[in-house]
Amino acid sequence: MTHTGQCFCGQVRFTVDADPVGSRACWCRDCQRIASGSATINVLFAEDAVAFTGAITTIERVADSGNTVERGFCPKCGSQLYSKTLKPAGLPMRIRAGTLDNPELMPPQSVIWVDSAPGWAVLDPKLPHHAKGPDSPILNRGT
Amino acid sequence: MPAPYTGRCGCGAVTATIRGEPVGVRQCWCRQCQQAAAGGPTNNAMFLFADIELAGQLSERRTPAASGNTLSQFFCPQCGTPVYGQSSARRHMGSFRLGFLDEGHGLRPDMAIWLDDAPDWAVIDPALQQFGRQPPPPAAKG
Repeated sequence: MTHTGQCFCGQVRFTVDADPVGSRACWCRDCQRIASGSATINVLFAEDAVAFTGAITTIERVADSGNTVERGFCPKCGSQLYSKTLKPAGLPMRIRAGTLDNPELMPPQSVIWVDSAPGWAVLDPKLPHHAKGPDSPILNRGT
Repeated sequence: MPAPYTGRCGCGAVTATIRGEPVGVRQCWCRQCQQAAAGGPTNNAMFLFADIELAGQLSERRTPAASGNTLSQFFCPQCGTPVYGQSSARRHMGSFRLGFLDEGHGLRPDMAIWLDDAPDWAVIDPALQQFGRQPPPPAAKG
């Protein structure tokens, strides 16, 4: 099944020739900054299934997890497109749900980095909440 | 925490000092905000430009709105951090993204708007004033 998406202005488009392998909301401080104060909502795909067209600006930094992460955004409209982990290798690519033509493709299955969520954040009580990354202790197992 | 508020983008190229209180703080679920903001809503504190010192280069993306106004989104060209949005109808005011503001600002959304566009998985605080589409403009201040 092929999934499609684009940025806000349409300069960047992409296709994904695979189904998602997961979906999660991330409240790390870096994500809140790029997501206008919200969590990023990330749909996970095998990186080699994702093909972009258009110009993309990338920024590389060491994330709160300690991993080296590359984030991509559209230089014309600023839409956040993806993040991928450069070190360690082999993790799925995170496509920002807002850029998918179908943002309902896979609802979040967990919430991560809730330790840094603001007090006003509403965390879905049906989902497991992780204090930090996806391998960190679960604070709420969900229902 | 009362004013002044400070803000910086992810890479530090854009900074701001804001010496006034916001007119309102809104969470916007319109489809364009979801596209720009990684899938969730934007969370916006509406400040008067008279209160703001902004430093650093910004990129601007302009979009025509159904109302006939022009909406502009300003972001850091180096790291992509969204900084503020602005309507041509209210040039004296900017909707600063809560993620751009430094920790400890204490601001929180008081209203959720454009819920007609929100995905089914969205979780909305029931305590917020809610609008399916655009709410009335904020009351003038000062």
